[in-house]
Amino acid sequence: MSEQRNLLLELKNVGFVYSSGIGFYGGKKIEALRDISLHVSEGETLGLIGRNGCGKSTLLRLIMGVFKPARGTVIRHCENISLLALNVGFDPLLSGSDNLIISCMFLGASRKEAYAMHDEIVEFAELEDYIDQPLKTYSSGMEARLGFSVGLKMKADLLLVDEVLGVGDMAFRIKAQDAMRARINSEQSVIYVSHDDASVASLCQRVIWLEDGAIMAAGEPQLVIEQYHRYVESHRGVGRPSGGQDT
Amino acid sequence: MPVAKSAATFAPGADLNGAMPDNSELAGHVCCDTAMGMTPYEYGASHVLPGEIYLISVNSRQFWAVFFTKLRFNLRSEVSRTYLGYLWWLLEPVFFVGALYLVFGIFLGNRADGFLLFLIVGQVAFSWFSRSVSNSSGSLRDNKSLINQVAIQKIFFPMLTFCQDFVKQMVVFVAMLGCLLYLGASPSIAWWGLPAVIFTQALLTLAVGIVCCAIVPLVPDLRFLIATLLTVLMWGSGVFYSYKDVLLLEHQQLFLLNPIANLIKNYRQVLLDGVWPDWGALALISLFSLVLIVIMAFVFRRLETTFARLALQ
Repeated sequence: MSEQRNLLLELKNVGFVYSSGIGFYGGKKIEALRDISLHVSEGETLGLIGRNGCGKSTLLRLIMGVFKPARGTVIRHCENISLLALNVGFDPLLSGSDNLIISCMFLGASRKEAYAMHDEIVEFAELEDYIDQPLKTYSSGMEARLGFSVGLKMKADLLLVDEVLGVGDMAFRIKAQDAMRARINSEQSVIYVSHDDASVASLCQRVIWLEDGAIMAAGEPQLVIEQYHRYVESHRGVGRPSGGQDT
Repeated sequence: MPVAKSAATFAPGADLNGAMPDNSELAGHVCCDTAMGMTPYEYGASHVLPGEIYLISVNSRQFWAVFFTKLRFNLRSEVSRTYLGYLWWLLEPVFFVGALYLVFGIFLGNRADGFLLFLIVGQVAFSWFSRSVSNSSGSLRDNKSLINQVAIQKIFFPMLTFCQDFVKQMVVFVAMLGCLLYLGASPSIAWWGLPAVIFTQALLTLAVGIVCCAIVPLVPDLRFLIATLLTVLMWGSGVFYSYKDVLLLEHQQLFLLNPIANLIKNYRQVLLDGVWPDWGALALISLFSLVLIVIMAFVFRRLETTFARLALQ
């Protein structure tokens, strides 16, 4: 890790606030993220761990540009950031095929590129027989397979992987994990979010542990995961993170 | 992806090896509370330069490529749906016209010549506005899951809803013209004025739709109010009565200030009386709508991520 690589993404002292109330101004503010600074370099896989509600998904949304940070800056040095998640925002009324094309285009592909990738994605998702059916007729596993395959096949400078282990049935899961490993282990830059410590430890070069919207520890995967485990053990029964405090 | 490029360029620094720049102690348990007490990171949102928000922007080719592809898919899926779907667009005005004709034409004995034609024209125009506005007002909520996953300017959604409704409405207009001819209306040269009236209504419908779309996420309860207002608007727009017969002369100008009432008047003038539309009124309504659309474009730009946040909550 001593070689210097180009940075793809920098977050500097990023904070984000949800307001829990109804409407525009009302309600109490919840600090979802506090003072987050991190960076991802080319070809690197950064792991993100932490309990439910600690702010992992919010952080990914900030990186994607869906949210704007309340404080601090998100600086991107790359063009394409795409998300590999189980539910990529499909339209239940459209066919699987239409959803696939639209999904690719939302992730930055041109119409031509999307159509060119179509068959390959369908084949990987093993949905040949159902691809022209409306998505609402799909089982949740089938939908997840389609979402995963789109995310996997899309080119991206930085790939955000959010909890995608456990897609579909056993056979597909093995295939999906192999494909994802292959991609992560290639020159792909990845931010990898997972509750599966074993995969985090084996895939990531660096891990960040989020707790209650703030970075608790960062560094060597083994060390951070160990700290995280000790913390969870000692806080068992104390309750989940509240998502922040009143401000 | 056509996104705004970051202005900043990176100079590789010494902190690349470590996990966290400037915070060597972070590997331990640096708790957030101590960090909270310090001020350096209290930049406020203004520190984020506009160019550093990465959205598929309305100015980009990608935006319009996705837009038209999605529009085509949505329309196609509506056609192929097995139940009423598309047909509903034709049936709704038919039901309304039937009910209104029953009440006002038969029960209340208003069976003047051409009352049915009069009703059809008014109702078809009003249904378009009413349905499109109410669809637009829910468009952010309906696309919640997309909004949370994809960085695209949110004005995409009300515009898509509007265009989808617009295409369907064109089919309704064709059916309406057929119906008018069948019921004995005589085409005149003034019918060529119809596209201008339709165009004006399209602008107004888009403008009002976008406004409602922006308001509903901020104050969700307004959704019900919008439904009520649309009903009130129907009563106030002369769908089933002629303002010339019902209103006092001094109130008529006031009545025509309601753009929907004015448009309905123009539709009837063109289609039933063979008179060219009131160009001045059409121009005014178009101008008003355009101004509203421009203002809303700015509002959407400003509230871009607020909408994403509200959609999630």
